[in-house]
Amino acid sequence: MQPLHPAIQTVWRIKMGLVTSVLVFGVLAYDVLNLFDRSRMLPFGLLPGLCLVLGLLSTFYLPRLRYRFWKFELTHEELYLERGILNRVRTIVPLRRIQHLDVSQDVIERNFELGKLIVHTAGTRSSDVILPGLQLQHAEQLRDAVKAYITEDAL
Amino acid sequence: MQPPPLHTATPQRLHPLSLIQRFVRSLPGFLVLLLPMMFRTTGRSDWFTLVLVIIVGALTLPLIILHYLRFSYLISPTEIVIHSGILTRRKRNIPLEKVQNIEIEQSLLPRFLGIAKVKIETAGSQAAEGMLEYVGLDEAQRIRATVRAYQKNPGTASPVPDHPVVPLSDEQSSETLLFEIPFRRLLLSGTFRFSLLYLAVIFSLLQQFDLSQVVESALDWVSRGRFEPYLDQAMASPFLTATVAVILTAALGWLTGIAITIARYYGFRLSLEGDKLHKRSGLFTVAEGTIPLAKIQALILRSNPLMRKFGWYRLELQTMGTDVRERGHQVAVPFAQEEVLLQVASHIRPLVFPDAFSPVSKLHIRRTFIRYALMLSISLAPIAYWWPLALWGFAALPLLLVFAYLQWRHHGYALVDNMLYIKRGVLTQYLWMVPLDKFQVLYATRSLFQRRLELASLIVDTAGAGPFSSPVIHDVPHPDGMAFLEHLYNAFQATFLPAQTVSSEVSPEAP
Repeated sequence: MQPLHPAIQTVWRIKMGLVTSVLVFGVLAYDVLNLFDRSRMLPFGLLPGLCLVLGLLSTFYLPRLRYRFWKFELTHEELYLERGILNRVRTIVPLRRIQHLDVSQDVIERNFELGKLIVHTAGTRSSDVILPGLQLQHAEQLRDAVKAYITEDAL
Repeated sequence: MQPPPLHTATPQRLHPLSLIQRFVRSLPGFLVLLLPMMFRTTGRSDWFTLVLVIIVGALTLPLIILHYLRFSYLISPTEIVIHSGILTRRKRNIPLEKVQNIEIEQSLLPRFLGIAKVKIETAGSQAAEGMLEYVGLDEAQRIRATVRAYQKNPGTASPVPDHPVVPLSDEQSSETLLFEIPFRRLLLSGTFRFSLLYLAVIFSLLQQFDLSQVVESALDWVSRGRFEPYLDQAMASPFLTATVAVILTAALGWLTGIAITIARYYGFRLSLEGDKLHKRSGLFTVAEGTIPLAKIQALILRSNPLMRKFGWYRLELQTMGTDVRERGHQVAVPFAQEEVLLQVASHIRPLVFPDAFSPVSKLHIRRTFIRYALMLSISLAPIAYWWPLALWGFAALPLLLVFAYLQWRHHGYALVDNMLYIKRGVLTQYLWMVPLDKFQVLYATRSLFQRRLELASLIVDTAGAGPFSSPVIHDVPHPDGMAFLEHLYNAFQATFLPAQTVSSEVSPEAP
């Protein structure tokens, strides 16, 4: 079983940090706008503070946990994935079931030269199975390796 | 090579009568615009409404005509091409080999006009990929016959000749009838269906448009006050009123259930034609469709406790890219006894009914019960805050325990002859039959609690499964569950061992 590239933790951290800051500023704005409202129940700054603390904690710890439980393996017959902190999911994608493949990279991933492999199948639940945190080159190698197995048989 | 007949090579228009159908279909829109006028006795805004209606009408009618003029389709030996769009021109190419099903549908007015809607369904999407609204009925059947002819022997086949359409009776020679439902049987099947949904819709509409007064006075006129004394007496006692209301609602729900069943499955007919199933049903809207056997992903047997008591079941087929109306499932046999059903199913897939199902872990009862109890508390807590008597709702807890036990009793799985059987459900009982070679992706999930209890849930994903009704095996003991998943996966791979040589024979044409 292979782990993801460790740099993905930083990517996840940045993304969670962004979400946290948006949330904290939103709640803060709400608090400021209702500063002089008499019927307010909570003291000023409590909610944004709570959001900030929780957000920071999850920004630091969640990516590490997520990284620890993400494992994958590509054999000549299947792509095997294991992931999940609370709900552990194991996925077996038989290579012959793959409809098409994508390698994608967002802005943050680009700075770390990471990418994700997206595997599309005809299944309802698994119309796209995502394998994140690969070095872009590695993702492309995997894609080319898997591409050989895509069969043309109809559903 | 002979040139194909002109009408398949040149773009075709829709049937001219489709203009009438489209016009009639746009009428409800006007009605909505006119509503304020109907319910207001006086007022200047009537003028405004009238002007609005005229403007909308002046826009709608040319749009209908433009749509007709700008819409054309063409069937070539390799693909169906549809040109459409008034402002944005769209050209859609549907390769013939991707076409899964061509459904011909006729609702009430088109039946009088002799036109039909043709839906071209492909694997790619849940909804129909191409829609021809409307063409002549004979043209619709010709399109289907042409596409089938091309599909049967691609490239070389000449399209169906121009001579008068192959009538249905002619086709029957190559068809074997699998299932037909006589009217009395249909009526019986309707009695098992109880639908409050449509009733609720009707009543809310009555409320919405303030028509209950009208209905009431109509009822008064019909009964001519003969029921007044009874009504007064019933009204005098709230208990009696409630009882009468419940009985009436139940009776109406029952009747609507029958009505819906008849409207949908009147004249139901399922036949096998070569390697395709042919299906036709409906009272007002006649729907005709073809399901290639190879495209069937799973079979689903459905019943409820009452139906089961009398031995009635319904068989559904899960296919790709089929209509969402039937939740991604096509009803193959709406209502039949077990042996008839098995016989029909055996034409579709060889079936061996499992003698025994492996049960899931008994801890499933506990987990289900806890989940129900939590749901009950969450829904009761806010009510109890205002109305403490609601706490008596917790008296239902033992009932929930019984229900959880029943859930466990009815949940089981078995693997017999390359077919995975999963049964589940108490009020609606499902039996999924998934052929091994139709598996897509396998999952094993373990939540925090499941890990503590040494349990796992197994999910077999198939193409075209509904998002909420996919077959899941809940709460199998952990090491066994993993072993079973492994076993399933190996069996799945094994089904392809001989098939691989076949597929390599077919593939050389690709380059």
